[in-house]
Amino acid sequence: MYQSFIGLEIHIQLLTESKVFCGCTNRFGDEPNTNVCPVCMGYPGVLPALNAQAIRLSYVVARALNCEMSPQAVFERKNYFYPDMPKNYQISQFSSPLGRNGWIDVAYNGKTRRVRIHEIHLEEDAGKMIHAGDMSLLDYNRAGTPLLEIVTEPDMEFGEEAEILLQDFRRTIRYLGVCDGNMEEGSMRCDANVSVNLEGRGLGRKVEIKNLNSSRFVKMALNYEIGRQKEILDKGGKVVQETRLWNENRDVTETMRTKESAHDYRYFPEPDLPAFVPDAEFLAQVDRGLVELPAARRERFVKDYGVNEAAADFLINEKGTADFYEEVAALGADPGAAASWLQFDVRKILNRENRELAGSPLTAARLAQLLSLLSGGRIHGKIAKQVLEAVFAEDKDPGLIIREKGWEQMDDAAELAALVDRALAANAKAAAAVKAGDAKPLGFLVGQIMKATQGRAQPQMVQELLKEKLGI
Amino acid sequence: MDVSELKVTADLANIELGEEEFASLGREVEKMLDYFSKMMETDGMSLPSGPGRRAANRTRPDAVSGDADPDSLLENAPELEDRFIVIPNVL
Ligand SMILES: [Zn+2]
Repeated sequence: MYQSFIGLEIHIQLLTESKVFCGCTNRFGDEPNTNVCPVCMGYPGVLPALNAQAIRLSYVVARALNCEMSPQAVFERKNYFYPDMPKNYQISQFSSPLGRNGWIDVAYNGKTRRVRIHEIHLEEDAGKMIHAGDMSLLDYNRAGTPLLEIVTEPDMEFGEEAEILLQDFRRTIRYLGVCDGNMEEGSMRCDANVSVNLEGRGLGRKVEIKNLNSSRFVKMALNYEIGRQKEILDKGGKVVQETRLWNENRDVTETMRTKESAHDYRYFPEPDLPAFVPDAEFLAQVDRGLVELPAARRERFVKDYGVNEAAADFLINEKGTADFYEEVAALGADPGAAASWLQFDVRKILNRENRELAGSPLTAARLAQLLSLLSGGRIHGKIAKQVLEAVFAEDKDPGLIIREKGWEQMDDAAELAALVDRALAANAKAAAAVKAGDAKPLGFLVGQIMKATQGRAQPQMVQELLKEKLGI
Repeated sequence: MDVSELKVTADLANIELGEEEFASLGREVEKMLDYFSKMMETDGMSLPSGPGRRAANRTRPDAVSGDADPDSLLENAPELEDRFIVIPNVL
């Protein structure tokens, strides 16, 4: 039978203030060619200078992906002629990239596979080129912005694993705060490579796939490509080693014409940049940049808070949500209740209003207060949901809301007794039926009292009072 | 230097040359390469500087310098359209 070998090349744009080798602003969406200077425009006689934050973030990623961190990160010139790179070379790393031999675990189909990271290197991004008829438009705002490339070994077998790896990786870099991981906007980009061979025969002829704008497309393109290559081999044919493009309208990969010399970059050392040698102080800084990563946090949430896997998955997906959850729990809220409220009620409102938890009127303190009002019996479930809505609508504390609206639970026995008497008088028929042994109308009577109090009456007390008065 | 190797190099550098030029250039490139191999014989590592041999890393803080003048740089572009630099289409 056949075996498939999948590897990924992931590029992420680092979240720095300035570009990697010059002091231009690093920002997406500005007017074309506003963030440019002689260095990133490739003017003669200029000198690049390495951005300290860019190299620090790079090492943080290398560390988080379990890489051996290079004692000497060397920069090289990767030569190629294309108008998106005004210098005619890209400053990149070749002989001594900053990270090597790392790994990332991918859990799929009940199995965990360790995917090796071949290397991680820091380079500069190219400018943007828009093809418009017989001319091309160039914007160099992105030229020279810090780009980190992560190359995996061809250790995966299924498109699904590649999709999961990308999702996990995206979560990790967002946790680390090094990149926002937006594949649609291109702050995270991915090329895939795949080969198919008879089992036990090692790698086949490698095909690279480009134009993958989401992790779902990566999965679809890889699975399509594996099928295509198997079919060729079935017919006794040979797979052509080439670069193919994913066509997202037709769900197929297509041949991309490339020059034969496209991969002959003639790397040579960048004479203008000394090698970067991380010292103890720098490595300590890198350590401080690490946070508890999503997989570890998921495990801890299940263990420490007793939440189920699905809830843990939801809670850890965004670091902000996980931090928020832990804050609510630390304020004394029941972890199970807090998880469930975040996963369902709060999420429902956020989705409806198309907003994020961060910066919303719901703070951890407010959710904790709401849950404490609920568990303390001061409000009951249905009112609690209304209070949550009101927190979002009015930006006030739950305690204040229930006081202002008079939503506090009615648990005064005398007050409730009077209401029960009134309900029994108004619904004599139902009362008589209950007395005669038919329990059904009891619920109706409770409902009448709940209605009369807009849901504020303490239901158990109402029920007990009713039973008492009806002598059952 | 082998002419075929020279041709690949010329192609990578986007330089078009005729056969005669290849012949004469080949000899000149040969001289340069000889000179480079001679330089490689020297003990560069004992020199006080060179990549990886500095006492401290040279980096700059992650801050926008704000001293660039993008508009004057754009004046050197052959053609502009809404701040985009316009060039003939390349694939
Ligand atoms: Zn610049």
